[in-house]
Amino acid sequence: MERVVTINLNGNPYQLEEPAYDALRAYMDRAQAALADNPDKAEIVRDLEQAIADKCAGYLSPAKSVISRDEMSRILTEMGPVEGAAPEGAEAPRAESFGGASEGPRRRLYRIKDRAVVSGVCSGIGAYFDLDPNVIRLLFILATLFTSGFGILVYIVLMFAIPSAHTSEEWAAAHGVPFNAQEIIDRAKREYGKFADDSAKSWRSEQRSWRREWRDQQRSWNTSFRSWETGANTPAAAPTKPVGYAERIFAGLFAFIFSVITAAFLIAFLIALFSYLTTGAILGWEAPNDVPYWLVLLIICIVYGAVATPFAALRRTSYATLNGRRDVGAADDFIVLVLAAVAAWFAWVYVPEARELMEQSYIVVRDFITHWTN
Amino acid sequence: MSDANEQFAGLRKGLLEFAILTVVSGRTVYVGDILATLAPTPFATQEGTLYPLLSKLRREEYVDYQWVESGQGPPRKYYQLTDKGAARLEELAAYWRHLTTTFENLGR
Repeated sequence: MERVVTINLNGNPYQLEEPAYDALRAYMDRAQAALADNPDKAEIVRDLEQAIADKCAGYLSPAKSVISRDEMSRILTEMGPVEGAAPEGAEAPRAESFGGASEGPRRRLYRIKDRAVVSGVCSGIGAYFDLDPNVIRLLFILATLFTSGFGILVYIVLMFAIPSAHTSEEWAAAHGVPFNAQEIIDRAKREYGKFADDSAKSWRSEQRSWRREWRDQQRSWNTSFRSWETGANTPAAAPTKPVGYAERIFAGLFAFIFSVITAAFLIAFLIALFSYLTTGAILGWEAPNDVPYWLVLLIICIVYGAVATPFAALRRTSYATLNGRRDVGAADDFIVLVLAAVAAWFAWVYVPEARELMEQSYIVVRDFITHWTN
Repeated sequence: MSDANEQFAGLRKGLLEFAILTVVSGRTVYVGDILATLAPTPFATQEGTLYPLLSKLRREEYVDYQWVESGQGPPRKYYQLTDKGAARLEELAAYWRHLTTTFENLGR
């Protein structure tokens, strides 16, 4: 008795015995690897799948609905090894020899935890497509807004489906190509089981690493602050100094100032949010009657984002300088701001509903300002 | 014969493109036709080789395809030679003639 696997070849379902499925998977994996550098890879893979599907159909009849291992191996022998750009020997044995130099960098989709905001899905996708993860995040948020929450569902599915990069090989592979639908499904099944204890564990370790980072930052801040007070080159200064000493003193000072500013913005934002949620008013100001509740919340979030982001970026740059690292993408925040502005502009021009909302938002903001200036 | 098969694999591999262009030049064909036409010849090949090669030829604009509904199953890609491909085939044929005459003269 064999387990049967149902697969989708170019939109049609086929049932395979498990060993037949394994053989097909191995064949397609090798094909993907051999075609890694081929610009028409997706199309060729589709053609190959179609050819295999046609051959499968030849073995099936109303009385027989499952492809056996032997039939699959005959089909694959007929197909022959897939040749990419790499030159091949007379008859390349269809074993491991294919995974050699001809394979090229294989990029896979992983979640990247150490650059994660929630679970690393977006940074993983970003690495996979060579895009700024913030762009992906923004797309997710927009998708969620425009599909009334469906985007979140997709995110959660992806969170289960995409494995997280634990080893350095995986991490490299996340940046380096193929990831097919069947893999996603297999992964989702496996990962779901692991998820509960895995997430609990990683949550703890994330907390630990946050605390560690915070301590490091404080320590290095203290160090440079002390050296700033004494004004001399104290031995307490960090042993490696890729960034100039004076620069670091300034960086320390600015890191402090910007931290205070961003913290103040965050507190103001939270106060505004909670006071609006609980009392329906912000510091004595009430929204005009015809403005929906959620729009005010959205405006609060947008205003906070627009105001706080530049300072957050400055703070991040300061800390990076302070710790003697090169800046780790403070530009990201600005890119997101610019993208948000562009998206808003598009919505203004092309979506009348959005335009109406924006006009309403403007009135809300003006109302708030006049309330405070009077 | 199998001996020749082994020894001249590299030679045939280089000429396979020529063979495919020649098959496509006659009529519009789909992959099954190409495989069937080549099967009894020394250029017998398989899907695994043919698809990447056809996609390369298409990228180089020697062949083009269009989708044609087939009686049974999904639509198929029917390939035909482009003008550029015809020129290329002409060129290859001329070179081939040149090679063969060279060989004939070398023997003398």
